[in-house]
Amino acid sequence: MAQTHEHGDHSHPAAPMVEEISDFEILEIAVRELAIEKGLFTAEDHRKFTEWAEQIGPAGGSRLVAKAWVDPAFKARVLTDAVAACREIGIDWAEPTGQGTPSDYMELRVLEDTPTLHHVIVCTLCSCYPRPLLGHSPYWYRSPNYRRRLVRWPRHVLAEFGLILPPEVEIRVEDSNQKCRFMVLPLRPAGSENWTEEQLAEIVTRDCMIGVALPRPDRKADDVRPVHQASRPVGGEHHEPGSGP
Amino acid sequence: MSGKTGPDPAASNVSGAELSPIPLLDAIQDEGGTWEELAPRYGVANPDPPWKVSLYAIFECLSAGGALPSLERRHIEDRLGETLYGRTPDPERQLLALADTLLRRGILSEEDLARRMDAVRARHEGS
Repeated sequence: MAQTHEHGDHSHPAAPMVEEISDFEILEIAVRELAIEKGLFTAEDHRKFTEWAEQIGPAGGSRLVAKAWVDPAFKARVLTDAVAACREIGIDWAEPTGQGTPSDYMELRVLEDTPTLHHVIVCTLCSCYPRPLLGHSPYWYRSPNYRRRLVRWPRHVLAEFGLILPPEVEIRVEDSNQKCRFMVLPLRPAGSENWTEEQLAEIVTRDCMIGVALPRPDRKADDVRPVHQASRPVGGEHHEPGSGP
Repeated sequence: MSGKTGPDPAASNVSGAELSPIPLLDAIQDEGGTWEELAPRYGVANPDPPWKVSLYAIFECLSAGGALPSLERRHIEDRLGETLYGRTPDPERQLLALADTLLRRGILSEEDLARRMDAVRARHEGS
């Protein structure tokens, strides 16, 4: 399968893809086509859900955390019945259009960090993840490396993410499973006093809710990505990124 | 087979009787080629088969339209996953459970499904 893939002035080997159609793939297509013909749903419905499913992100989780930070009564509800509390921020785990996804069970527990206790979530068996709140899991969450090592050496693994916790902070690893999903409610950072819920939500990134990072008032999910300046720019002059050679 | 006869809210949506295998789905389960088997053969690193997102969209559509609510489907998957389709991993198992449910409820017939699978296979192999 050593095919190459052209990109104008260069080519590289194509990423490998399975070069056959399995019976399972054929079954999926056949079931879908027949369901559409029977009027159970339309091709347009299916396309919309597919498009939506591939773009869900962690914004719901960020809103949940921000609201819990500013509203103690809401936080209490989050900690006692997280699925119900999600509905208050517009996420219904049962209704697809409310961002619930069918691959998620209706059981969610939100784990509150304290100054002496830090939570981090993993799925040692596979890749269970609170998708209605956080979207799709990152690749490393599904990697055997993370899944196997986090439970044994949590402090070391967190340090590999750049999160170095003082020894007096206990680390608790929660293993997601088929029946229950978890999410971390991190500590609100100093320096975010008097912020609005919207401002707070911006600093609650996906990794903070998995537990491999802590929210910081100076870091947002949509920060401009760092750009490496060329060490030897063409013509010896500095060029702004995107300004062309 | 669990042989369970007590009240089980999850079971009521499948069938009260012991489930017998559906030949078409049983054959796919035995010979279908799961993603776990296919992906390493082609050096593919993606953990999910390309059709998984489409299957999940079918789930969404069926739930949104009321034909098969998500929670009910999950109970069915649990039950069938422990019985008829226990030797197949997800998402293939979820797909088998869905097809099984649509067949047992008479929404699809085994003949129609087999015929359509042949047509889909011919279409793809001809391309």
